Amino acid sequence: MAEFLAQYSIQRWMEMCPQGYLEDTVYGHEPDAREPDELLADDDEREAAIRTTVSLVVGERCALAASSGLINAAPDHASKRFLATQTLDEARHVEIFTQRLYDLGVKKDDLESTINRYANPNLVKFAETLLEKVDAGDFVAGVVGQNIVLEGMAFTVFELLETGNREFNPKFSQTLKGTIADERRHVGFGENRIGSLIQQHPEKKPEIERMQQEMTYYMLATFSDSFSNVDPKSRPQPDAATGEADFHGTNLATATPEEMEAVLANTVLGEFKSRLARVGLEYQTPTVPA
Amino acid sequence: MTTVDVDDFDPHALTEQDFLDQVHSFQFWFDSVEGYLTDRPYGRPDATVEEPIDDARRDRLITSLCNYCVGETAALDGAAGLVQLAPDRNSKIFMATQVVDEARHLEVFLHRLRELGVGDPEREIERRAQPALVDFKGALLDLVAEGDWQAAVFAQNVILETMEYTVFRLHASTADAVTKDVLAGVIADERRHAGFGENDLGRALAIDPSGRVRLREIRTRLDAMVLGVFEAALADIGAPVEGHRQLASEYLDTVERLGLT
Amino acid sequence: MTTTDAAVSAPEIASDETRRRFELEEMGFKEVPKKWRKFYRYWQGPTDVLAPNEVICPVCKVVIRATRELRPGDKVYCMPCMSRMVVVVGEDGRLEADVVF
Repeated sequence: MAEFLAQYSIQRWMEMCPQGYLEDTVYGHEPDAREPDELLADDDEREAAIRTTVSLVVGERCALAASSGLINAAPDHASKRFLATQTLDEARHVEIFTQRLYDLGVKKDDLESTINRYANPNLVKFAETLLEKVDAGDFVAGVVGQNIVLEGMAFTVFELLETGNREFNPKFSQTLKGTIADERRHVGFGENRIGSLIQQHPEKKPEIERMQQEMTYYMLATFSDSFSNVDPKSRPQPDAATGEADFHGTNLATATPEEMEAVLANTVLGEFKSRLARVGLEYQTPTVPA
Repeated sequence: MTTVDVDDFDPHALTEQDFLDQVHSFQFWFDSVEGYLTDRPYGRPDATVEEPIDDARRDRLITSLCNYCVGETAALDGAAGLVQLAPDRNSKIFMATQVVDEARHLEVFLHRLRELGVGDPEREIERRAQPALVDFKGALLDLVAEGDWQAAVFAQNVILETMEYTVFRLHASTADAVTKDVLAGVIADERRHAGFGENDLGRALAIDPSGRVRLREIRTRLDAMVLGVFEAALADIGAPVEGHRQLASEYLDTVERLGLT
Repeated sequence: MTTTDAAVSAPEIASDETRRRFELEEMGFKEVPKKWRKFYRYWQGPTDVLAPNEVICPVCKVVIRATRELRPGDKVYCMPCMSRMVVVVGEDGRLEADVVF
């Protein structure tokens, strides 16, 4: 255990991040990178980008609260130290996505009102379900909820967004690549740490599985809301000829909003099932949101 | 009206809000630590040579490091709880950077203990921890659990971090080469932590001085706990007599600036 | 009182031709982002002497530097400890910095 947890040390984090993929970046991207002029000039596109980015800020604020909250509940020093790096990663994500809102033209004084206006209520409920466990000091449920469910969702969402923005918006794409790199560690810690704890506490399984079911319901409802707001005609089109917009077999350049929602949901749920199974939990299907 | 050029990148030309936005950000922390932690695994350059340490000095060093670990664990748990309590986004993000700083301190001190031949650092910490420091940790975490931001920031970032800042600097002046390097990085972090505590509380008390009543009560309860521990630490590291005066005076200067005497 | 209320503003300092200008270079202080490093240095101890464009931060003891000669009323920031200060004349007649909240 000590050897495995050494992978999650601060030293490793320093070697991977500041001295690795974040070197010479500012807010996660090249210092001079900007949002595309075409995006900033189109009110509908800009609003859509703001709406998406608000969702990312809401998700990361939840992750920040959860990871910092779990430090006190962590049963060993190595887990505490890992969660410290995760806390900082999440703070960085809050900062860079907030900065993106400013880059998209949101004024600093309007930040909170913008977030309140566009925050999806289902995403807020998703966050509350997780934070209830964290506030109760439930380390096992908290890590499953955060590092497997929340981070697993974030990982796939970021991959989708990164794929869709790679050609059109290199600034945002690079920002997302950094967050994806962080999420790999978070998800990895969740899977690797929780398995043994679930074995030691099998009585917690039903309660954790119920939490997962509830969080999945709100996640799917959030996806449904998000894609119902997309106007396919107005979306900037990645270059379909390069094939760069392929996401798990779906070409994002030509997919309808329903198709994108389906591939996202299916990918996330597929990942959930395998990750949960690896840690000894059984995936619980939620009721389908209306 | 004559327009005047202000020097590029002059920090003293920033507006107050821009200054706070700047220094509390992840980006600032990131660019700062890059300056003194790059290529320093576990806080020190590989090239620093371990000098011979006699058994008595080694034993005292181990005791000091064990108690530093207790302090850092207290600050790690405390700062983590404070992320949630932070009243605004800048403070949340700053506290998140403090969380990882404290975790790093714990890690580098544990690493140093292993380098000194301690096979089971966790057990050694339990054996050598000063009870008063363990009590302080409990008291700090109680304040965090109560949701008392000001009291917890005072206990952690003013009482604990200010004293650590002084002790670590004094220790670095008498330490062996490796320990000195490790402490240099920790000291740089503590500047931010102690500074945050004093300035955050100072701003709040300037607006509402009635908060001083509660903070004086916290002082009465917690000061002696921590001061006693760090006095003992100064003895362990062989600090000169002036060090004891410096420990008290630097802390007292801080509480005086905050109007808590 | 804030530093904005109390202090002499940067444009006023910059336009005051009676103040000496100082060209700053980095002096080995690496605890802040690169672009700010030349504005701070370590205090070297009892034998160290402050230049007319320098004051010591009372919170963290780092030396704060400016591109202009400092005078009472000037606003300065200490980035290493995130403190805001006003330059004042100390009891011994030398310039010091008072923390302003």
